[in-house]
Amino acid sequence: MLFQQLINGLTVGGVYALIALGYTMVYGILELINFAHGEIYMLGAYLGVIFFAFFSAAGLTSYSLSLSLVLTVALSALFCSAYGFTMERIAYRPLRNAPRLSPLISAIGVSIFLQNYVMLTQGATDKVFPHLQGTGGLTFFGARITYLQVCIILVSFFLMLSLHLYVTRTRMGRAMRAVAQDKVMASLLGVDIDLVISLTFVIGSGLAAVAGIMVAMYYGLVNYSIGYIAGIKAFTAAVLGGIGSIPGAMFGGIFLGLVESMGASYISSEYKDAYAFAVLIIVLLIKPSGIFGRTNEEKV
Amino acid sequence: MKTSVVATLFLVLLCVSGGCQKKEEVIKVGVAGPMTGDQAKMGTDFKNGVSLAVEEWNAKGGLLGKKISLLEADDQHDPKQAVSVANKAVNEGVVGLIGHFNSSCSIPASDVYNRAGIPMITPGSTNPQLTEKGYRGIFRVCGRDDQQGKVGAEFVADKLRLKSVAVIHDKTTYGQGLADEFKRFISGKVEVVYYGGIIQGDKDFKTVLTAIREKRPELIYYGGIYPEMGLLVKQARELGIGAPFMSGDGSIDPKFIEIAGPKAADGTYLTFSPDPRNIPTAKVFIDDYQKRFGEIGPYSVYAYDAANILFTAIKEAGTAEGRAVAEKLHSSEFSGALGKIRFDEKGDVTASLYVVWITREGKFIEYWRPGH
Amino acid sequence: MDRLSLVIRRSLLRSVMISFWFAILFLPFMGLRASLIFFVLLSLVLFSVVLLKGYIKMSTERFRSAVQNVCALRRFTLGFSAARYLIIFFLLLFPLFARDYLLDVAVLAGIYVILALGLNIVVGFAGLLNLGFVAFYAVGAYSYALLNVKLGLTFWQALPLCLTFTTLSGFVLAIPALRLRGDYLAIVTLGFGEIVRLILNNWDALTGGPNGVSGVAPPSLLGMSMGQLSKYYYIVVAAGLLTCVAVRRVRSSRIGRAWIAIREDEIGASSMGINTMRYKLYSFAFGSFWAGLAGILFAAKMRFVSPESFTFMESVLILCMVILGGLGSIGGVILGSVILVILPEVLREVQSYRMLALGMGLILMMIFRPQGIFGGMGRDAR
Repeated sequence: MLFQQLINGLTVGGVYALIALGYTMVYGILELINFAHGEIYMLGAYLGVIFFAFFSAAGLTSYSLSLSLVLTVALSALFCSAYGFTMERIAYRPLRNAPRLSPLISAIGVSIFLQNYVMLTQGATDKVFPHLQGTGGLTFFGARITYLQVCIILVSFFLMLSLHLYVTRTRMGRAMRAVAQDKVMASLLGVDIDLVISLTFVIGSGLAAVAGIMVAMYYGLVNYSIGYIAGIKAFTAAVLGGIGSIPGAMFGGIFLGLVESMGASYISSEYKDAYAFAVLIIVLLIKPSGIFGRTNEEKV
Repeated sequence: MKTSVVATLFLVLLCVSGGCQKKEEVIKVGVAGPMTGDQAKMGTDFKNGVSLAVEEWNAKGGLLGKKISLLEADDQHDPKQAVSVANKAVNEGVVGLIGHFNSSCSIPASDVYNRAGIPMITPGSTNPQLTEKGYRGIFRVCGRDDQQGKVGAEFVADKLRLKSVAVIHDKTTYGQGLADEFKRFISGKVEVVYYGGIIQGDKDFKTVLTAIREKRPELIYYGGIYPEMGLLVKQARELGIGAPFMSGDGSIDPKFIEIAGPKAADGTYLTFSPDPRNIPTAKVFIDDYQKRFGEIGPYSVYAYDAANILFTAIKEAGTAEGRAVAEKLHSSEFSGALGKIRFDEKGDVTASLYVVWITREGKFIEYWRPGH
Repeated sequence: MDRLSLVIRRSLLRSVMISFWFAILFLPFMGLRASLIFFVLLSLVLFSVVLLKGYIKMSTERFRSAVQNVCALRRFTLGFSAARYLIIFFLLLFPLFARDYLLDVAVLAGIYVILALGLNIVVGFAGLLNLGFVAFYAVGAYSYALLNVKLGLTFWQALPLCLTFTTLSGFVLAIPALRLRGDYLAIVTLGFGEIVRLILNNWDALTGGPNGVSGVAPPSLLGMSMGQLSKYYYIVVAAGLLTCVAVRRVRSSRIGRAWIAIREDEIGASSMGINTMRYKLYSFAFGSFWAGLAGILFAAKMRFVSPESFTFMESVLILCMVILGGLGSIGGVILGSVILVILPEVLREVQSYRMLALGMGLILMMIFRPQGIFGGMGRDAR
C-alpha cells in the first residue's frame, strides 16, 4: 500500500509543483502573491474540456486522437498565457509602485472575478471531460498506475527541468533572474522590465494551464472552484521550497503531494486539505524563507 | 452640504423601508430551494413541479376563490440564505411553503416557519432531524435517511448476504447522516472494515480508496452525491478494486454514469423511491411535465405532490390559517401522483418509500423491493 | 482638422483592437454569438470613452471638487455633530415603521458593521492584513452556541466568557504570526481561518460538524425574551454604538497612535521606542474582541450556526467593507458595511452578477481609489 500511496502523492505533487512554479516566479520578480494564479489553472482545465469537445464535434478526434490532444493542450496553454498577460497588464502593472497591500487585494479581486466569470458562462455544475482510455495501467510492486498518471509525472518533470534550464542557461533567463534580484539595477543595465515581467506571467500561466489540462483529463471533471484550493496548496508548496526559487517550488510541490497522501491515508482523510495549511503555517513560523530560499533583509 | 447629504440618506432609507406594499387578492405560496449555484438543477425541478400544480389549480378556479401566486425563494444551498429567504417569504405573507431541498437549509429554515405558524412541506430533505423537533407544521413527502439506510442495510445483509463493507461519506448533513444510518442498521450483521469521510468538492480519492483496497470489503457504501460518487467509482476501478458500490438518492443522476463511465458504473446499487414511471397515477403528471418543462427530475414529482397536498389541505380546512392547515395535514389522507400519502405525528410519510435500483448499461433500473 | 480625424481614427483602431483581444479571450467560454455582441459593445464603449476623454478633462474640475466635498464630509461624521444625532434618532425609531424583513437586513448590517470596525483596527489602524478574520467571528459564534446549548448558559452569562475566549484566540494567533512580513502574514491568517473552518466542519463531537449547532437561545432582558426581531434590533444597535465609541476612543489614545505609526513606517516606529511586537499583539486581540461580539450576536440572531457561514469569502467580504469605506476611517467603514449589506438585498434579482461586480470593483478600487470613500490611508494621504 505504501508504494501506491507514493504514486498517488507523486501524481498530485507534480500538479502542485507545476502551479507552484508560476507563484514562485511572479513572487521572485514582483514580490506579489498572485492570488489569481490558481484561477489560471482552473481556466486551463476548462479550456481543455472546451477545446477537446470542440475538436470532437468537428470530427478531429475520430480522425486522430493524438493530434486533437496536442492541439487542445497547445491552444489551452496559449489562451491561458494570454489571460495571464492580460491580468498583469490590467490589474498589476498600474499598481507597481503602490503599497504592498494594493496589488494583493487587486489579485483577490481578479480571483473572484475569474471564478464567477467561469461560473456564469459555464454553469455551476461540474463539467465532464470525455473518457480517453479505459482503466488500464501498469502494476508495479502491488500498485496500480494508470497511463495517465505516468504521463502526468513525466510531463511535470520534463517541464520543470526545461524551465530550470531556461532560467539558468539562456539570456532571457538571466534577465529574469536579474530583475528578481534588483529591479532598478536591472533596468539601469538595459533590461526591459516590462518585457521580463510579462514573460514571467506568460510562462507561469502556460505551466499552470498544462497542469489544469492534465488534471481535467485525469479526473475527468472540472469545476469553477478548483482553482482556489489548488492555488493555496501550490502556494504552500512554493513557500515550503523557498519562494523565489524554482528548484524549491519543484521540491515543495512533490513534498506536499506526498505529505497529503500519507496524512490522508494514515491519519485522517477528512482533514486532507488541512495538511497543506498546517504545513504552510509551520514552515512560515519556523523558516519563512523555505528550504531553498534566501532570507531577504528588509531595507529602510 | 452636510445636511443635504444626511437628508438624502434619510429619504433613501425611508423609501427602502416603505418598500413595496401592494395588497392583492391572491393566495401566496412559496417554493424555496437552491435555484442558483451547484444544486440549481434540483431547485429548478422543484420550482417546475410546484408551478405545474399551481397552474392546474388556477385553471380550475384557484384556491378559496383566489388565484394562487407563487413566490420563488433561492437559498443557494446556504443555511444563512435559507433563513434569510424564509424570513422574507414569511414577510411577504405566504400561507405555506414547499421546500427546501438540502437538509442543511430546511432544518434552520423550519425554525422560522414554525415561529410564524406557516406549514412547510419539503419534497427532498431526508435528514431525520428535520421532523424530530416537535414542530407541528413541518412535513416531508420524501423518505427519511434512517428509512433509506435501513433498506440499504437490509439489502446488503439479507439479500446479498455479504460479510464485509466499507462506509464512506462526504461530511455533509445529508451524506454523513445517510452513511451513519446505514452503518447503524448494518452493525452486528455485517462487518464494517472501514469508515471515513472525504471532502465534497475534492477530486482525488485514490488515497482513501487505496486504504479501503487493503481491507478488501465486498461492497463500498457511499453517503453523498453524484459528482463524488462518480469519481469514487471511476478511481476505484483504476486502482483495481472490483467490489460493487452502493449509494443513496443523492447519487441517482445520469451524470454519475457519465463521470464514472458506463463500464465502471455498471452494477452499482442505489436506494431511491420507486420509479414514478411505474406508478399509474404518476403517468399523467409525467406527460404534462415533459410537455411543459422537458426532462423530468428525480424530485419533480415530489414537489408536485407536496404542492397539491398543501392546496388540498387548505381547501379542506376552508382557511389559509397556518395552524388549521397543519392539523388538516396531520389528519387527512391525500392521493397524489405517488399514490396515497398519510403523515404521521412527526410529519413524516407513514409508508416506507425506498427500493434498490441498479445501473445496467448506462441506465438505472429498479432492482429490489424490501421484503423480497 | 486633420489632427482630429487622426485622433479619431487612432482611438477607433485602439478600441477595436482591445475589444477584439478581449472578445477572443472570452470566446471559448461565452460562445461565438455572445463574444460578437461583447466585441461590438466594448468597442463602442471604449471608443466613446476615448473620444470623451478630452471633454471629461474639462469637466474634471467640477467633478473633482464634488468628490472633495463628499470626502470632506468625514470631518463632520467624526465629531458628535448634529448629523450624528439625527442618524441615531432615526436608528432608534426605525423598528416602528419597518417590517420584519427590513429589520432582518438592518440587524445583519449591524453585525457586519461591528465586524468591519474590528477588522479596521487590524488592517486600517495597524496596517496588518488579516485574511482569516472570519475565524474569530466563528469562534465567538460557536462558543456562544455551544455554551448555550450544551451547558445551558444564558446570553448574558456567556457573553463575557465568549469575549474572553475570542480575545485569547486573537492573542494566540498573533504571537507566532506577527513575526512575518505583510504578505506572508496575510497567507498565514488565511490558512488559520481555513483550518478553523475545517475543524468546525470535521470535529463532530464538539461542533456537530456540518450540521452545526441549532436551538441557540436569544438573549432575555428583565425577564422578557429579546428574540423578536424588533427587540433584538435594539441590542444590535446598542452593541454597534458601543463599538463605534470604543474604537474612536482607542484611535485617539496612545495605543491608537502607536498603531498608526507602525502602519506608516514600522522600522521608524520601532526606532522611536515603540515596542512594535506588543502593539501589534494588542491590535489583533482588540480586533478579535469585536469579531467575537459580532459572532455572539450572529449566533443569537440565527439561533443556528454552521461552518458554511464562516468561509474565506466572508473574510474577503469584510475586508471589502473596510477597503470600500477607507482604511482607518471609522465613518467610512460603517458606510462601507451598510452599503455592502444592503446592495445584495436590493440587487437580489441580478444576484449572480454580484460577485463578478465585487471582483471587478476590488480591482478598480485599488487602481483608482485605494483610499476608499473616506480614505484615511493611501497615496493621497501622505
